[in-house]
Formats: sequence, C-alpha cells, structure tokens
Amino acid sequence: MGIAGNLEIRSVRKHYTVDGNRLQILSGVTFDVGPGHFLSIVGPSGCGKSTLLRLIVGLDNDYEGDILLNGERIEGPSRARGIVFQDHRLLPWLTLEQNIGLSLENTGWNAQAKKEAVRGQTELVGLSGFENAYPHQLSGGMAQRAAIARALVCKPDILLLDEPLGALDAITRIRLQEELLRIWRVEETTMILVTHDVDEAIFLSNEIVVMSSHPGRISKRFIVDLSSPRDRAGNEFIELKRLILAELHLYRQKTQSETENWMNMASLI
Amino acid sequence: MSELSIAAYTVDTAEPAVRPDSARIGKFDVGAFARRFGSPIGLILPVLILALWQTAVSCQWVEPVFLPAPRKVLDAFWLMLTKQDLVFDFLASISIVGQAFIYGSAAGIGLGTAAGLSRKFEQFLGTTVDTVRHIPGIAWLPLIVLWLGIGAPAKILVIAKSVFFPLFLNTLQGIRSVEKNYIELGQVLLLTRRQMVRKVILPSAMPSIMVSLRYAAGLAWALVVVAEGLSGLEGLGFLIFRAQGLLLTDQLLVCMVIIGLVGFVVDRLMYTLQCSILRWQQGFKG
Repeated sequence: MGIAGNLEIRSVRKHYTVDGNRLQILSGVTFDVGPGHFLSIVGPSGCGKSTLLRLIVGLDNDYEGDILLNGERIEGPSRARGIVFQDHRLLPWLTLEQNIGLSLENTGWNAQAKKEAVRGQTELVGLSGFENAYPHQLSGGMAQRAAIARALVCKPDILLLDEPLGALDAITRIRLQEELLRIWRVEETTMILVTHDVDEAIFLSNEIVVMSSHPGRISKRFIVDLSSPRDRAGNEFIELKRLILAELHLYRQKTQSETENWMNMASLI
Repeated sequence: MSELSIAAYTVDTAEPAVRPDSARIGKFDVGAFARRFGSPIGLILPVLILALWQTAVSCQWVEPVFLPAPRKVLDAFWLMLTKQDLVFDFLASISIVGQAFIYGSAAGIGLGTAAGLSRKFEQFLGTTVDTVRHIPGIAWLPLIVLWLGIGAPAKILVIAKSVFFPLFLNTLQGIRSVEKNYIELGQVLLLTRRQMVRKVILPSAMPSIMVSLRYAAGLAWALVVVAEGLSGLEGLGFLIFRAQGLLLTDQLLVCMVIIGLVGFVVDRLMYTLQCSILRWQQGFKG
C-alpha cells in the first residue's frame, strides 16, 4: 500500500431495473489511469460518473466488465481505494481527530503509529490546532479538508474524489483546488476526480475524460499538456476549455453579427 | 477607506475559524449550567403565586382547612422532617424511582437496539410490545401486587414497565433513522459490524434516546406517587393520600411541593446530562 495505483476499467456496463424497466446507466466504459496520474471525469448530471466512482470504490458490485487495480479485480471496499464524497460526511459526534482516525480502525497499527499518521495528515491538510473541534464548528472548506485527510491517512493507492468541492463557494473552491494539487504532489497518489466544473478539471488533471449520458459513456478523452503552475486565464487554458465545452455541447462561438451588436452596446455605455 | 476594504476582503476569504464557543470544548461550562437551572426571570411567577396564596388566606377567601397559610405549611414541613419520618418516606420514593428507571431504561435501550438492528427481532417482539404498552402501568399494579405484595418490588416492576416503552420505541426509531450515507461511509472505511454499531449507529440514535430518557425520568417520578398512593405504607405518595384522609391539608401541600421540586431537579439534571452527551450537536440555543 502507499504506491501509486494503476487502474484499468474494461468495458464496464451497469444498469438498474426500475419498475421492470431496464435503465442503462453505463455502457462500455473503458479507460486507464496510470500510476500517479490525475484524471478528471467531466459530464452532465445523470451521465453515470458518480455511479462509476461507486463501482470503483466497491460500494456496488453488480456490474459487467472489469475494474482492475494494479492488475487485480476489485471486490468490495478496500483500504487501497480512498474516497471523498461531495458532502464531507464527517461523523458529527466525533472530533476531527477521531473522524480521521476512523479510517485506521482495523489496520492493526499500534496506537502510536495511528496517532502519528493522524497528526501528519492533519498537518498536511492544514488543520493543525483543530484536532478537537467537532464538525459543526468547522467551515465547509475545513470539513472537506478533513474528509480528504480521512481518505488519505491510510495511504491508499488511489484516491477517488466525487465532486468534493461542488458544495463550496467559488473562492474556497479555488483555494482548495490549489491545496489538492499540493497534496497530490506530496502524496503522489493516483487521483480520479469527478466534477462538473471544467475549469477545475483543467486546473488539476493530466487527463480529462468527457462523458455523455443516456446511456453514460466516454465521448472523448483529452490530455492536458499545460505547464504548471497553470494560468486559469491563459490562452492555452481557455482554448482547452473551449474544446471541452464544445464536446459537452455547451459552447457556441459567437457569430460575427452578435459580436458587433455587443460592441455597439458596449460603446453606448 | 481602501485599507479597510482590503482588510474586510482578507477576512472574508480566509476560511472562517472555529466558532468562539470552541474554547469550551471538553470543559465544564458553569455559566451554561446555571442558565439551565433557571434565570431569575423564572422565579417571578412562583413568587406571584405565593403572594396570591397568602392573600387568599389573609382575606379568608378559602377556609384554612382547605388552604392553610404558607407559613403553616412550612411549619408542617418542619414537623414532618423532625418528628415524623419524612426523610425515610422521601428516600423510599427515590429508591423505587431510581431502581425502576435504571432497570426500565437498560431493558428499553438494550431491546430497542436489538430490534433496531434486526428486523426479524422487531417482528418477533412487535405484536406483544404494541399490545402490552397500551395497558397502562397502573392497570398492571393490582395484579402485580397480588403476586409480589405491596412492597417495593411491585412498584419497581410497574414503573420500570412504564419507563421501558418510551425508551424501546425511541431507541428503535433512532437506530432506524441513521443516515444511509453514514452506513456507506462505514463500509468504505471497512468498519466491522460491531464498530458500525458502536461508532456510527448508536451515536446517531443518541439524540432520540436522550430525549426519551428525560421524558421517562419525569414519567417515573410522577408514577411513583400514584403507585404508592394505591398500595403500600410508605413513600411520598402514601403520605399525600394519608394526609387527604386525615384532612391534614398542610402536610398534603408539603408533599405536593416536594414532588414538584424533585421533579424539577430531576428534569434539569437529565437535561444537563443530555447537553453534555450531545455536545457535538449544533442545537438552537434560543
């Protein structure tokens, strides 16, 4: 454990049966995530991206195809795969320290090792000094940092992030994106991020997988070959964003007349 | 001005720190304790009632045999305390309530947890529980007294039964309303069944268990008076009915005031316990 994991997803198909009707959620999803890579999955809601993450973490074993971590088919949850949910999901009756320590319950580590690990992880996410605070005393951003620490404390091979910053305000989100990058560089864990924020995906990842819905499938894969630190307002960044938005059918170039209209309006003001 | 706005900006964007009351984490908060036991505002109404009582007696609106003066009630209290066995009767009642409360709540939480965790067990108990709980505790008393006699055991059993049901039902309900998300988290963190119950399910059910404990404590105290009035020769309940029979209205009022005050203290103690166990909860503090 603690080595960056290599994840292979092979023709994964998943359906639910609702009132006797077969509902195809995922259809033939195939992609790899190399060791130490940061891959983002972007797609409209309902495209099955969160379902895919549930399959990878092992909460749902009812699917066709294979999901392999370091060559082994995953079965059920494991310490090798950590997850951060959109809601921080800290247990309100445990202090921050106890919440992070909950990950280490059955590791067989001795008390000293557990304590050290929790302390180190708390420090890494910048929450030192808040060990004894209860979740309701933390801000949304702090709670999400604690959730990241909880997922990382047992040194997983791969960290799954299910829209972890989706519920935060824009400024805290940007801050935490930078934190995530820093943590990724320190831990060198393989990361998979599910998000609906294209900027976030470009800012953080080496690779971006765009999914489309009905049924959920991979529509395109982008390699993000930008130097770091990445300039959110730089030309290359914007150009890639344009491509991804177009892939999501969310982008349309302004026509010449629209641009002129806008210019005229602007000059009036 | 510009400096000010920059400062404001920094404060806004910095992640809000822990709320100020975090300074009290893990420490006993004397101020809060005092607040729970009532602020001076709470004393206004009792003083007014006492004044009205005194006025009613002084103006002879009511015959003294039906409503003796407060002063006479105080004298009666002193008499009962020094010449009669008030302390003994008081302790008899407390001991019955204490035992009944402990047995009843232990059984309620234990069986409630078992039923909450296993639907089979709930179904097994369901019919019996839902029938038995509709027979009031007091309706059980005559039969139990036939079996166990008029001593403490019969009363303990009957009151424990009345304590049992709110705890059983609330524990069951509390466990069933654990958020599915938390269970899922426990699975991801590879908690064993035992750890899941101890670290996730029971704490999550704790607010509803604590509410029913507080309710049941009040119920038990009220019931002991009835149970002692109906059977036995000791306890505050016995005294109150004896006083009625002998037309010792002053003694009757002494017992009533004691019952009320003890009930008040019991409730506030339970509330304090509740607040300290549930200090992780972000409650509305008024």
